[in-house]
Amino acid sequence: MSVKSDSNKLLSFGVRIIAFAIFPLIWFLSQAILFREITNRIPRALLIFLAIAIGSTFIFILYAGMNKIISYAPKSYQEGLYGAMFVGPAMFLLGLFLFYPAIRTVYLSFRDKWGDNSVGLDNYVWAFSDKVMQVTIRNQFIWLIGVVTLVIMIGLIIAFVSDKLQKGEAVFKSIIFLPMAISGVGSSAIFKFIYAYRPPPLTQIGFLNGLRVTGGTDINGKPCKNNIIENGSKIDYVNDGCTQPIGWLQQRDLTKFTSFENVTPDDSFLSWLVNFPLNTVLLMIIMVWMYTGFAMIVFSAAIKAVPSEITEAGRIDGASEARIFLSVIMPYVKSTIVVVATYLTVTVLKAYDIVFVTTRGDFETNLLAVKMMDEFSKFLHFGRASTVSILIFISVVPIIVLNVFRNKEDEAL
Amino acid sequence: MIYSQKWYDKPISKLILITISLTWMFPYIGFLLSSFREPDAIKQAAWWTSIFSGQIFSEFTFDNYTEILFAEDLSRSFFNSFAVVIPSTIIPITIAAFAAYAFAFIDFKGKDLAFLFVIGMMIVPLQMSLIPLVSIMNKGAILFGLPIIPELKITGTFVSVWFAHTGFGLPLATFLLRDFMMGLPRSVIESAKIDGASHLTTFYRLALPLSIAGVAAFATFQFLWVYNDFLVANVFLGINPRNQVITSHVAQLTVGNYGEAWHLRTAGAVVSMVVPLIVFFSLQRFFIRGLIGGAVKG
Repeated sequence: MSVKSDSNKLLSFGVRIIAFAIFPLIWFLSQAILFREITNRIPRALLIFLAIAIGSTFIFILYAGMNKIISYAPKSYQEGLYGAMFVGPAMFLLGLFLFYPAIRTVYLSFRDKWGDNSVGLDNYVWAFSDKVMQVTIRNQFIWLIGVVTLVIMIGLIIAFVSDKLQKGEAVFKSIIFLPMAISGVGSSAIFKFIYAYRPPPLTQIGFLNGLRVTGGTDINGKPCKNNIIENGSKIDYVNDGCTQPIGWLQQRDLTKFTSFENVTPDDSFLSWLVNFPLNTVLLMIIMVWMYTGFAMIVFSAAIKAVPSEITEAGRIDGASEARIFLSVIMPYVKSTIVVVATYLTVTVLKAYDIVFVTTRGDFETNLLAVKMMDEFSKFLHFGRASTVSILIFISVVPIIVLNVFRNKEDEAL
Repeated sequence: MIYSQKWYDKPISKLILITISLTWMFPYIGFLLSSFREPDAIKQAAWWTSIFSGQIFSEFTFDNYTEILFAEDLSRSFFNSFAVVIPSTIIPITIAAFAAYAFAFIDFKGKDLAFLFVIGMMIVPLQMSLIPLVSIMNKGAILFGLPIIPELKITGTFVSVWFAHTGFGLPLATFLLRDFMMGLPRSVIESAKIDGASHLTTFYRLALPLSIAGVAAFATFQFLWVYNDFLVANVFLGINPRNQVITSHVAQLTVGNYGEAWHLRTAGAVVSMVVPLIVFFSLQRFFIRGLIGGAVKG
């Protein structure tokens, strides 16, 4: 009897391994090799069709095959085996594509350029002592504080104000939410057009420079205007004395602006302010533009959940709108703010496309995620790239874990 | 219904909202208009000047779009995007649905541990796994001296992106679908079991059809996420024009090489935005649901 149960156990263990690892492995490999071979040989439309048809068939075979094997196993073990069969492929893929690589990244962060030799903590020392890395970390801080605060503030205001309208609320919300649907690359292209710069005699087509060169007068007292070119000849060609356009995304400080031209070290406030990283802030605006809609939607739902009796009572007692917002609404949406802040923090830490598309990380605008890809694909230093990605991980995890614990506390109360 | 509002509350709210909405819409306007202007016109007069002088009507053209789509081959990148997006949405949903069913309805050993693993993987940022994942897709993986994955060399082909997105999307999909399936009436599933239905049948006939709303929410979210993604596509497909996706193509237009070609940049970016906007407007409800659920995607 005991021998039989032992062999049963062994059998069920074997079946479990097959369900957990071997079946998904064969599935993955066959898909990979098959589609590698056909990708460049057939037209796209056919590829999409085949991917759906063959992909679905393979997934069906994967699960049906495991199901068949399990039906041979002893009845008493089957329930557990079905668990393995249903969860197995997901676990396998998570392990192979996320867990194993993450561990390997930790390992690589202690190795040299190609991962051949151990270098101890050298990469981490580099991460905090290198000039470019220091600027990158500073930028990441500015982004975190700036984007999270701005998005939450604007989102709260819009949600609070739109709650007062009974009609037309949805239209405004859709407009503000729209940037959330389009890609970071698209949004960056849109804003790059606004920040566009062309050398002076040319027409300024970027809105910001257009504003800058319009207005004021030149040395002869004629009003300054944006240049226009018509039939090959320049119209409104402007003389000396007018404000010159500037390359907004190249401005790592404010020295190009008139008020800062003659800053002396005596004026401590101005000499501090002159280091204001203008281009970084302009790039942050892109992200604020993209994510305010998200904050607004979430806050809006939270504000709608505030019982109207309470706000009504406040209003009847003569409280001002600001007072109601601070004393009645805020306590209700506090936990929502934490959730949104967490989401935004994680998003900012992983922000890649905005900086890549606009400045490529030059002019001191780099962020961690961009720097990581630079080290990886430009400088081919896998050790340093891994170290930077670990910095991202270290910044992300505590925030999420704290959040989870907070949620637990809230549930307990 | 709010009774005690003051008479000026609504006009002021409206004014604030209109101001903010106009500010939010403003970036689109010039960009969209410029995509319809002749290349020379864009360079010779700013778009607002051309509106004020009324020239915008005589400059109107679709040539930018024909040029970007056919001469610059954005249409190929557009189809490539679909070749990436559709499997990258279907595979993780299918795998995750099975796992979610097990987490919700099957009792097996190590269930809690397995679920903890899923949650843990949700926290790990995508960047953490990226570099070794590239080498898995390329050179395979050796675990304890055992070559579990042979040299595949699939980077640069679509299948690598499918599986990369599958990996990055799986934790969230599993989590969301499990949540959804936990909400299904247990008695229905139980009674199917009593009637002798196998787990596979129960899953296929009951659990999956009943949780179609959850599947739709995640599908919408994942579809837009993959379509708009630039990082993963850039790493695994690169800028090889044969296989690059639309975001990479637009990024390439915007980053450089094209100098002053704003007529191509604007038209290209507008083309890339059409699909997300259609999805957004037709499936807004599902999208927002998936988005709020997916607040912590890796």
